[in-house]
Amino acid sequence: MKSLWTRLCGLLCAAFLAVAFLAAAPAHAVEQALIDAAKKEGKVVWYVSLVENQLARPLAAAFEKKYPGIQVQIVPGTATDLVIKLLGETKAGQIRGDVHHGGSSVWPLAKAGAIEKYMPEAAKAYPPELKDPNGLWVADALYYLVAAVNTELVPAGSEPKTYQDLLDPKWKGKIAWTTQMTQGGAAGFIGTVLQAMGQEKGMAFLKQLAAQKLVNVPSNQRVVLDQVIAGEYPLALATFNYHSDISAAKGAPVKWLKLEPVTGTLDTAFLLKGPNPNAGKLFLEFILSEDGQKVVANAGYLPAHPAVQAKVAAQKPEGGNYKALLLSPELVESDLQKWISVYNELFK
Amino acid sequence: MTALPLGDQAIAYRRPLGERLAASLPAIIVSIVIGLIVLPPVAVLIRTSLLSDDGAQWTLAHYATLFSDPRLYVSAWNSVTFSALAMLLSLLNGGIVAWLVERTNVPFKPLAYLSAIISLGTPYIIYVSAWLYILGRAGPLNASYRALTGETGLLFNVYSIPGMVLIEGVLWSPLVFLLLSATFRRSNADMEEAARMSGASVFATVTRISLRLAMPAIAGLGIFVFIRNLEAFDVPVLIGTPSKISLLTTDIYQSMTQVPPQLGHASAFSMLMMVIVAVLLHFYGRISKKAERYASITGKGFRPRPFDLGKGRWLGAALIVLNALLVLVLPLLAILYNSLTPFVRAMNLAGLSNLTLDHYRAVFAQAHYVELALNTVIVAASAATVAVALTAIAAWMSVRRWPYSGLIDQLTSVPLVFPGIVLGVAMIEMALNAPIPVYGTLWVIGMAFVIRYLPYGMRYSHAGIIQVHRELEDAAGISGATRPTILRRVLLPLISPSLIAGWLFIFLIGAKELSIAVLLAGYNAKTISVAMFDQWTNGAGGEVSAMGVIWTCVMTIFSSALYWVTRQRTDMASAK
Repeated sequence: MKSLWTRLCGLLCAAFLAVAFLAAAPAHAVEQALIDAAKKEGKVVWYVSLVENQLARPLAAAFEKKYPGIQVQIVPGTATDLVIKLLGETKAGQIRGDVHHGGSSVWPLAKAGAIEKYMPEAAKAYPPELKDPNGLWVADALYYLVAAVNTELVPAGSEPKTYQDLLDPKWKGKIAWTTQMTQGGAAGFIGTVLQAMGQEKGMAFLKQLAAQKLVNVPSNQRVVLDQVIAGEYPLALATFNYHSDISAAKGAPVKWLKLEPVTGTLDTAFLLKGPNPNAGKLFLEFILSEDGQKVVANAGYLPAHPAVQAKVAAQKPEGGNYKALLLSPELVESDLQKWISVYNELFK
Repeated sequence: MTALPLGDQAIAYRRPLGERLAASLPAIIVSIVIGLIVLPPVAVLIRTSLLSDDGAQWTLAHYATLFSDPRLYVSAWNSVTFSALAMLLSLLNGGIVAWLVERTNVPFKPLAYLSAIISLGTPYIIYVSAWLYILGRAGPLNASYRALTGETGLLFNVYSIPGMVLIEGVLWSPLVFLLLSATFRRSNADMEEAARMSGASVFATVTRISLRLAMPAIAGLGIFVFIRNLEAFDVPVLIGTPSKISLLTTDIYQSMTQVPPQLGHASAFSMLMMVIVAVLLHFYGRISKKAERYASITGKGFRPRPFDLGKGRWLGAALIVLNALLVLVLPLLAILYNSLTPFVRAMNLAGLSNLTLDHYRAVFAQAHYVELALNTVIVAASAATVAVALTAIAAWMSVRRWPYSGLIDQLTSVPLVFPGIVLGVAMIEMALNAPIPVYGTLWVIGMAFVIRYLPYGMRYSHAGIIQVHRELEDAAGISGATRPTILRRVLLPLISPSLIAGWLFIFLIGAKELSIAVLLAGYNAKTISVAMFDQWTNGAGGEVSAMGVIWTCVMTIFSSALYWVTRQRTDMASAK
């Protein structure tokens, strides 16, 4: 009997090993097959709205080092430029990009049929709110949009601490924000307020805020922050929190504020129906892997991978101990036009 | 219309068909070539303006939105005021300096050229932001006003129509200067001499002879700058938005910067602009019909003698220095300051004690910038050459009223109203459907530049040719020269100052063009402005300023060298 047990155990072990081997081998084989196929293609074309010198090139270089023989060809541009380009390419039936990085470009591109659905292996480590269940997109970087003050013009202690504080008459005509109609600009601020306070209370608050005569700056978040640093305006809304930290480290009189909930947005990476699908998949896997996300963190950006720390831990909600409200691509797709019309009605 | 333009009165009989065809063919060919360049983007524009934003159905909604805007009339009024005032400022500033430099004995002449060339070489984004920085609330002007008077308010609010006019006017002064200086160099000496021998003062001679002779060129230029101002986005948006001053282009800007951009709205607006431009050009056509009356380069010696301003010289010199301050020194100082401070900060003593070369180091650390710079020079120079060559011939036919040349001027002016992004979209579509693989290469960017700058080339060529009396060409024709020979041996040498000025202008503004270059950039096909824009959105304002300073230096050296060489040669040619 004992021998039977032993044999049974042996059999089980063998079976387990076989299963384990069978399970492990294909996974390994797929990856090797992918690498081989990618090397055969030899290059991957990356449409990217990241700043080229700061992050796009370092990421490409790290990938080329890990997979020699596959070249990353960077095509830079703003999110708007790249969408225009890709919509044109899709219409002509010749998509030239393999991988795309951009914030709000997912839905227009998905509707046009430019995206190849693909759920990267690396995305398994990501929480559900940072990826699309159908493999349309995965977040590769996070952003938190915050208020910021000029510390020379606004003495410590007198800066606003809640959204309600923004209604103090002393801020009348002194609050600047970007007119960018994206989730990262004025529209995103309006969206955050409406989500957090609810439609009715949110609109009441926004009407009062509009009476403060906000200054619309027709430029990006960084330029608005620069104007705060230069002293043009004491207070700005919807600026990137890490920008304030970078400038403050150089001695600029600026500080970012945690008006809760802070607006959270994400950049997305996804596969296009491009000419190099295998190299595209491999590169996408790399961007989302821990290695790739470390490059993101080293460039000063906030990595999406839950296991990768930001360079300044306090910039992420967990490290900085603040509440954030994530404006997901789905929410942006369904509500952005509504936020824009609120802006046009109250603030323009 | 059926006769050859040469000696048409003398010929009474009807020419055979072959001969008539030969006479009309050149203008028809040129019209077709220009049409092929200019009209495809127009077709894309019309289609975009009539398609719904998802591209699914035909609609007039974009036009409806355009006209239903309750603020349309206010915006239109603001736009017209802004465009007219800024045009006047450019004409006055650029025109007076051009006249002083070309026709009088004031000192500091090279300074005026230097100002024009350097300021044209400076990228817009940093040029306009430099002005905003100087005149802004925290800028040196208002800060010193507060420090001196103890007030808390502003001496000058730049976020206003006067602020807009000032900056736009200064921005386009170099265009006026370069164009009018070419015109004034060739103004008629005979009539001026006659006036002065009859005892007219310098002032009377200028207002009653010189100005009137230059009138068609000035009027054409005025209409041109007016249209340019009307369709300008950057200055009205950057300056108007913070104080909620709305111009016609303000909304368009917002619709173009959304993701995805709402191009229908912008296209409908461009169509409206095209109609306005057609009307304005019609009136311009009526002025220039009488062009021959104004021609000042005739068969007789035309070398004009400079006016002696006497003590007025120093007033003139002061004007040139003031112009240099406005167009060049102040903005450049601000840019230089921003490139040397570690972060954007108010201009004060504390800032001066903390300067750094970090931004310059960062720029020089990027080896691929050299490649981008080379790309830029190649694209801008080729585009300028093609545009000037094409418009020189086109303007010749148009001014001399060759048979069937009626449409040429209108056609070349069409691209003036394309917003950069709309032209970019059209180019993407055309390049993708082209039989040869040009998409994503420098060729497409070059082609887009040719289209975009055709109107500018036309203005320069047109103004040059309108001054040359046809008797010179007729004389050559009677002596047996063919038309190509006339063009090469008679006309081109005479109008070369205009053409060189035009080339330089297109080269310099092409080299810093942003919206098209960024949109059409491909791997291996990037220009320096793509890199600048990239750094700009990143907020590396200091680094962009450093790049701007370096770029301005490179452009200045390059174009000054070119200008002096060619100028010397044309001087020798015309002194003979």
